[in-house]
Amino acid sequence: MAKLYLKFEQAVLKEVTVTQGGMVTIGRLPDNMIQVDNLAVSGHHTKIYWEDDHYVVEDNNSLNGTFVNNQRVSKVTLKDGDNVLVGKHTITFKDEWHEDQPEQRVPTQVMPAVPQMEATVVLDTKKAKELMAQARALKEGGAFPSAAPAGAGPTASGTMPAVRPAPPPPPPPPPKERTGMLTVLEGKTDQPHYLLSGKLTVIGKSAMATIKLKGSLFRQPPDVAAIVSKREGKYFVASQDKKANLKVNGAELGHQQELQEGDTIEVFGVKMSFEYHD
Amino acid sequence: MSLTVQVAGKSDLGCVRTNNEDNFGYDTRFGIFVVCDGMGGQAAGEVASKIGVDTILEYFRKAGAAAKYPIEGEPLEGVSERANALASAIRLANKTIFDAASKNAGHAGMGSTVVAALVKGNFLAIAHVGDSRIYLIRKDSIQQLTNDHSLVMEQVRRGLITPEEAEKSNMQNIIIRALGSEETVEADVDDMVGQPGDILLLACDGLTKYVKDKMLLEIVKNAPTLQVACERLIQAAKDAGGDDNITCILVRVVEEPWYRRWFGKGSPQWQNSI
Repeated sequence: MAKLYLKFEQAVLKEVTVTQGGMVTIGRLPDNMIQVDNLAVSGHHTKIYWEDDHYVVEDNNSLNGTFVNNQRVSKVTLKDGDNVLVGKHTITFKDEWHEDQPEQRVPTQVMPAVPQMEATVVLDTKKAKELMAQARALKEGGAFPSAAPAGAGPTASGTMPAVRPAPPPPPPPPPKERTGMLTVLEGKTDQPHYLLSGKLTVIGKSAMATIKLKGSLFRQPPDVAAIVSKREGKYFVASQDKKANLKVNGAELGHQQELQEGDTIEVFGVKMSFEYHD
Repeated sequence: MSLTVQVAGKSDLGCVRTNNEDNFGYDTRFGIFVVCDGMGGQAAGEVASKIGVDTILEYFRKAGAAAKYPIEGEPLEGVSERANALASAIRLANKTIFDAASKNAGHAGMGSTVVAALVKGNFLAIAHVGDSRIYLIRKDSIQQLTNDHSLVMEQVRRGLITPEEAEKSNMQNIIIRALGSEETVEADVDDMVGQPGDILLLACDGLTKYVKDKMLLEIVKNAPTLQVACERLIQAAKDAGGDDNITCILVRVVEEPWYRRWFGKGSPQWQNSI
């Protein structure tokens, strides 16, 4: 355990404990454990934490820097009595490691994890997968501290009623998705059948529409009359224009509606039936 | 009456940084809007985000002249030609940044997020890589259209941590997809149909970290113009601490009679990278 004393001109403003394995963040923003509200201090200026077997101070690329005993540093080990200068404030480091009983390392004042919001970093795909696996292991281990080894979980469910199975692995791949199809029964369009393979199918006059409505010289259909969207293997139809006069099974449609096998939809005089196509 | 767009965009250093690693650009003639948030030391982040914006604008300007979207990489299934064009433009931007990073030692490790929207009348296609976001503001509601490619959000999606834990996590700054970090990248793309009055907000995390959805909606709805809305959004992020660069673009789909399109154009038609 070590103590940090935040001082300004000899006056001690605050005292914070940093435990072995813990971390204390220092900066201008309120999410820091030691907030130093001064413009000379960066939002997340510096941090003091336990590394391997000693405490270190590490500057977070702050604008005005972190100084230890008047030397600008990026990351150094702290010794008892060191003074860390942040802006115009000093943080005195008192190492109490030697007074600690090993058993007394009870985290009485463990600091919660706090967003550091340093510069964004990107993980490559491999590293990201590793971290995800780590988080999963942590979650499984954390939720079931006395449970059997992680591997036993999924296979054991059902056969070992005494042991709660580990949380299920990420959702299994969804069952094979069926593709919907619209068949034109009445009216003028550019094709007799439309396979609804995309997430979004637009019905309208626009050149970008999937199902193109033709209309007549005197009655032009809207650019976008209606849309059919596919979500999780289901299809929904929604009107986009009052003039489209969208009907499902003969009834006018206010908002959107899920399509069922055999439904007929009517848009601007074009009648189509919906079914699934294998 | 036909549909057209109004647009405003702005970028700001924020309260702490001395350089701006964000970039943005748009060209309403081709309906393309882009925001990039760069990363990497020694000004490399600025280079990456600029290449990102430039490459994507250039792709659509060339495609407009040729009246055809060139395909880069494997076309995606189930999405429109326009969504595929965005994916292609982003793959091209990734390649350009990746090549620039490998040629110049000082730029090694540079990367950028990207959010882009392609707007053609009612037809909207969106794409993103990284933790920049697109929101749709329709009447009195706001909806986030993109899912951050960040480690914490991925953990939330897989049920490993709760959204509350994610907000407190010290790994919020880690993104798992970016332009330029690997040889290939896949953007998430989506198609939508817009309605007159819809507003798209494209923003980097410097805004969305500090200003929550409800507040975004309130600011945009209450501003007299899109330009004022952009300024107020940025100010809100700065008031909340704003230690990162802040950038946003607002695009509104509007119904406009033909004569308004011919006379009295208000906002400039395009804005190149800054």
